[in-house]
Amino acid sequence: MYGIILFTVLVSTYLMVIAKRMPALIRGFRYQSFCLFVFTWVIASSHRQPDLYIVAGLLFVLKVSLIPYLLYRIIKKIKVSEDLGLFINPQLSLVWALVFTYLSWVFSASLLISNETALTSMLAIAFFIVLAGLFLMITRMSALAQIIGLLVMENGLFLLASTVSGGMPFFVEIAIFFDVFVSVVIMGLFVHRINKLFTHIDVNKLSRLKG
Amino acid sequence: MEIFLILGIPLLLAISALFIRKQRTFGIVNSIGYLAVLFAGISLFKSIITKGSAKAFLGFIYLDFLSAFFIFVTSVIAFAVSLYSIGYIRKDVAQGVISKKKAQVYYLLFNLFCFSMFVVPAVDNLGMLWVAIEMTTLISAFLVGFYNSKESVEAAWKYIIICSVGIIFALLGTILFSYAFSISGLSKSLNWSDIAPVAHILDKDILKVAFIFILVGYGTKAGLAPMHTWLPDAHSQAVAPISALLSGVLLKMAVYAILRFGMIIIKSVGFAYFAHLMILFGIISLAISSGFILVQKDIKRLLAYSSIEHIGIISIGFGLGSPLAIAGALLHVFNHAVTKSFMFFGAGNIVSVYKKHNMNTIRGVIRAMPFTGIMVLLGMFALTGFPPFSIFISEIMILAAAFTNGSYTIAALLLFFLSLIFGAFIYHFGKMLFGKLPKGMVVSAEPLSKRLAFLFLLFLICVLGIALPFIKKDLLWFAQRLLQG
Repeated sequence: MYGIILFTVLVSTYLMVIAKRMPALIRGFRYQSFCLFVFTWVIASSHRQPDLYIVAGLLFVLKVSLIPYLLYRIIKKIKVSEDLGLFINPQLSLVWALVFTYLSWVFSASLLISNETALTSMLAIAFFIVLAGLFLMITRMSALAQIIGLLVMENGLFLLASTVSGGMPFFVEIAIFFDVFVSVVIMGLFVHRINKLFTHIDVNKLSRLKG
Repeated sequence: MEIFLILGIPLLLAISALFIRKQRTFGIVNSIGYLAVLFAGISLFKSIITKGSAKAFLGFIYLDFLSAFFIFVTSVIAFAVSLYSIGYIRKDVAQGVISKKKAQVYYLLFNLFCFSMFVVPAVDNLGMLWVAIEMTTLISAFLVGFYNSKESVEAAWKYIIICSVGIIFALLGTILFSYAFSISGLSKSLNWSDIAPVAHILDKDILKVAFIFILVGYGTKAGLAPMHTWLPDAHSQAVAPISALLSGVLLKMAVYAILRFGMIIIKSVGFAYFAHLMILFGIISLAISSGFILVQKDIKRLLAYSSIEHIGIISIGFGLGSPLAIAGALLHVFNHAVTKSFMFFGAGNIVSVYKKHNMNTIRGVIRAMPFTGIMVLLGMFALTGFPPFSIFISEIMILAAAFTNGSYTIAALLLFFLSLIFGAFIYHFGKMLFGKLPKGMVVSAEPLSKRLAFLFLLFLICVLGIALPFIKKDLLWFAQRLLQG
């Protein structure tokens, strides 16, 4: 069961890496968050932990519904081209993603003391998602892609926390969710401002400050 | 308990900033509030020294010597900045740079920012520490992009993105710490006061990996090179009083977070690992910042790079690790906060009169604004470590510790970069301060609130410089206690 869910998480991350346009990227993020929601829900029901249900619920409300909705609204409102502006084309990005998957497997195998394959693969997938988020932030020019890259990294950490250390303490988890939501809202505001002042959201062209 | 005052007053002021329309009255109320916070900070510091450590608010807040010290530093700078803000914001409103409504927003954000910085050293839970530090980024991003110009919005965007990514790595490190704690067979917890006593039984390899993530993550926020790229942009574009807070206190909050994790690492992995990493990053920061200081044209960027330099010195101090070095580094945290805020106030005054940042075109500051000119001259000597000012004392302590430890290379590098930076500062500021009064410029005086802010900080700079050699014994005692946890 876990295996299937984790596999879908992995696939959704690959989908995001090869996405060329903004809506596809947001859709990928939504799939990924939904998979994490199912994952948390399954853990909650198998371990009978009531507070995990709340965490899963929050995940659904914030990351599956509210944040993608906000991002879609920003795209509609600022009316810039929906292209992500790729520095590295989708095919090559996929190759990079495969390399990252392998590297995170090696890293997590060397980090863990016990040799459980299930735990190692979970850890590897979590590290891979963090790396993929970083990759998205670095190789996409649109400011919105950077926000999504950050969210993807955060998803990876969520998976990491819930697999290796049995989740963060409950109120820390809630605080982090709140924090992520606030940061998306604030970054969205800044995207609006950038668009107003520069009439584009291409971060590659933000180069007034130097030295 | 004083901690409730310290956390409560900024929150109350933030709420009342929404309702009090008159920004002038509010500025004064604000300063009185922060004066109260300052006294509360001092008395908290005193009581922690006698009591050792304290918990409050259902164990949510944990205070020991280290956190009380950082709260005290924050309260000093927050008070000075609240004084300076009165004059600065009034001038901006009078000149029509910002609207009255925006002045209200400024005070709201200022108070929220201070609140979030008081929360950072007070919380016990390492996850909450992360949340609090991320909150400081999110709130201050608005203050960096406050003027809504192209440059400031660009700086704010870089700031928020780079710091958020950096801090994500810190969260990764925190999760690995909690993993190391959970496989040791103890109950699940992220509280520092639970982890620190059992640090020696945690898995060493995981902690080593985790600490690298922590150092890169919080190091980004602290402005350690080579993760410093956001810093000169954000510090040069922020509102002048906020630049003082960013440089003086916010960077130290990240240093605080690194130290918290560092104390666990020292107990478990041993001191050498922590020391090597801190000294390595410290030296890189010094080297990179000294290069940029030499060729700098923008006055506020110059000060921002100088902050990177001082963070480097602080991390070398903690890395050296003898009681003398630790005492020096802690003192340097305070001295740099005070002196750098002082200099940012001066730079803010200069920029608001000359309307430009470029040091090559600013001339005759002492003629045009005598008070600020003299203050900046004194501040420049203080910042570059000239006796009898306080930074001299803390730098000499760190240097002496390096020599007595036998780490001659580190001492030599430190001296080399310090003298390089000293020369660059004299060159840049000498050109700017002296010279004829520019044409068409009238001699201007500063309002009382700004003068008070300067004098308050100058008092601290001078008094500490003179008093410190006499209380060195107590300092060493503190440092010794800090090392023991």
